[in-house]
Amino acid sequence: MTSIADRLPSPGALRDALAGVGYLADDGIATALFCAARLGQPLLLEGEAGVGKTEAAKALAAVLDTPLIRLQCYEGIDASEALYEWNFPRQLLAIRVAEAAGEALSNDDLFGREYLVSRPLLRAVDHPGPLPAVLLIDEIDRADDEFEAFLFELLAEGSVTIPELGTIHAIHVPVVVLTSNRTRDLHDALKRRCLYHWIDYPELERTTAIIRQRVPSANTSLVAQVAAAVRRLRTLDVQKPPGVAEAINWVQALEVLGCTVLDETAVSMTVGSVLKYREDLATVAERGLDWVADAS
Amino acid sequence: MNTTSGPDLADVTARLGHLLHAAGVPVTPERAGRLAAAMALAPPTTDAELYWLARISLVADRAHVEVFDRVFAQVFGGVVDPADFRGDQPPAAVGAPVAARPPEPGSPAPATSSPARRPSQLTDGGGDGEAIPPDEERLAAVISADERLRSKDFGAMTPEELARLRAMTGQMAVAPPPRRSRRRERAAQGSDLDVRATLRRARRTGGEPLVAVHRRRRTRTRRLVLLCDISGSMEPYARAYLQLLLSGVDGARAEAFVFATRLTRLTRALRGSLPSVALERAGRAAPDWSGGTRIGEALKAFNDTYGQRGLARGAVVVVLSDGWDCGPPEILGREMARLRRLASRIVWVNPRKAAPAYAPLVGGMAAALPYIDAFVSGHSLEAVDEVLAAISAG
Repeated sequence: MTSIADRLPSPGALRDALAGVGYLADDGIATALFCAARLGQPLLLEGEAGVGKTEAAKALAAVLDTPLIRLQCYEGIDASEALYEWNFPRQLLAIRVAEAAGEALSNDDLFGREYLVSRPLLRAVDHPGPLPAVLLIDEIDRADDEFEAFLFELLAEGSVTIPELGTIHAIHVPVVVLTSNRTRDLHDALKRRCLYHWIDYPELERTTAIIRQRVPSANTSLVAQVAAAVRRLRTLDVQKPPGVAEAINWVQALEVLGCTVLDETAVSMTVGSVLKYREDLATVAERGLDWVADAS
Repeated sequence: MNTTSGPDLADVTARLGHLLHAAGVPVTPERAGRLAAAMALAPPTTDAELYWLARISLVADRAHVEVFDRVFAQVFGGVVDPADFRGDQPPAAVGAPVAARPPEPGSPAPATSSPARRPSQLTDGGGDGEAIPPDEERLAAVISADERLRSKDFGAMTPEELARLRAMTGQMAVAPPPRRSRRRERAAQGSDLDVRATLRRARRTGGEPLVAVHRRRRTRTRRLVLLCDISGSMEPYARAYLQLLLSGVDGARAEAFVFATRLTRLTRALRGSLPSVALERAGRAAPDWSGGTRIGEALKAFNDTYGQRGLARGAVVVVLSDGWDCGPPEILGREMARLRRLASRIVWVNPRKAAPAYAPLVGGMAAALPYIDAFVSGHSLEAVDEVLAAISAG
């Protein structure tokens, strides 16, 4: 039976394993995931949209061969959506059946695990193993302060408390990855419990390699041109600088349209898959589509 | 495994933690312990590995990364170039310079003296509050003097009067209007039926839902963003408005920014216990207290860096500026349009409005006017009440 230590002996080994499942990581993210998994500390990933925060957690789950349990946060999310809920209809039915059969039903019967609906956080804690599950808490900055406080017990102790059942400790404390788009400052108490990593845009070679992995049928020179063009676009004064996801979409769009080289026509047809704001499109048009397509 | 490097590594990382803490990156013993555990798991054999282990364990904020790089380079003496570890460095950045968040003065011991070349002193030498007069007549005289001070224009005040004003004012009542949030709470008069709670209640009565439990949407206050112009023309007013910023940050959890040629986020610096300490920190944080104003570019920097990401979404935005923009008014107009789409309400405070012959006909003020919901003067303490009322209006 392998343990986490066997699967992830070093950050370098993890980096190779991640590449094996299709996620091209740099040393930073590999070390961050390594520390999170081996130390049992939650990891807070921040970065611009489209740099691969969610993908990192998915890739880690693939490497460890454990389920990825995902909790998407939003304002107003509470315990019944995140942690657990009682299956009331089933409980009421059990009461009726017991009445009809003339049997007594004790509280313990009604509040057993079979009447409990597990939501993501409880599923992550309950995971039987052999390796801990990867719990992805996506866009934690969208949730409000109350929800952050609610997470503390899980992040610090690796357990959750259900009033009727008591405290449930995780047999294998899940590897927790939180992502944030920095729309607001997270509470210091939350940040204190986490390791932190900021993901930058990848450099040219890695961008090219990532695109080539995701779109294997695209021709090499086109991929190189797109990677350089995306990099050029980021130097412009755009509201939403394009990330890796946009670069991948761009190559896919070009491929579907049958373009083999990135020239001005190709750019004009596909620029909407890279820039999503009208003002950005205007900025680029002003700068010139030929500049975007220019070979560096 | 190189055992002789064991104690050296511990020593070196302790020094790193100590230097980081002195440079303003809060390194708690907990984090240092985490680094130690991480190094035990994966003993770093190269400086690059050590860099990543240290950065992931010790640094908790994007803003601290530059400081961390500098200290790391200092400790490891140029052997390692932290620039290698940063992601994509684009060739030539085009666009207005945006000030990063100021490094938080994390260490308890404050810096010795404020930089001498700053033209305006925020913490005036005048003592905070004259002695309380013992006699009735003197009390009456002081009260009427205070009354006069309330309606006096900030621009015409002497430093002593400003200090007196600060003693008088204390905390201003900054209260943004409420908004309905998505979170629901139990309420007897609520309109929505809480099905789960009703069924839960039904268990008490043998499974029959006899009592219906209601809930309603909880109200929260809207976020408040304060953008204060601190250029030369606004200098006398800026000192008074800083009090407003402080009240907002402390009382209403507002975000505070100042701008002249660049935008600086002051929220962290102002969020302190003592007003004098907070104001001094603010003085140190914003590097351009006088000079010309580029309102349009400052608003652009705000929109790009903070507003777009959601800081201004649905918020009440208060701009305190006299509208004298050195840059082209088209930029200001465009950025105001953008801000208006994001924010719930924009309040513009312009001390020049109090002048009898003033009308916003030219330049930046005219370009911004269509997007302003409430245009107030805020030139004296009485007028600030008008500002507070404009903030609270729904």
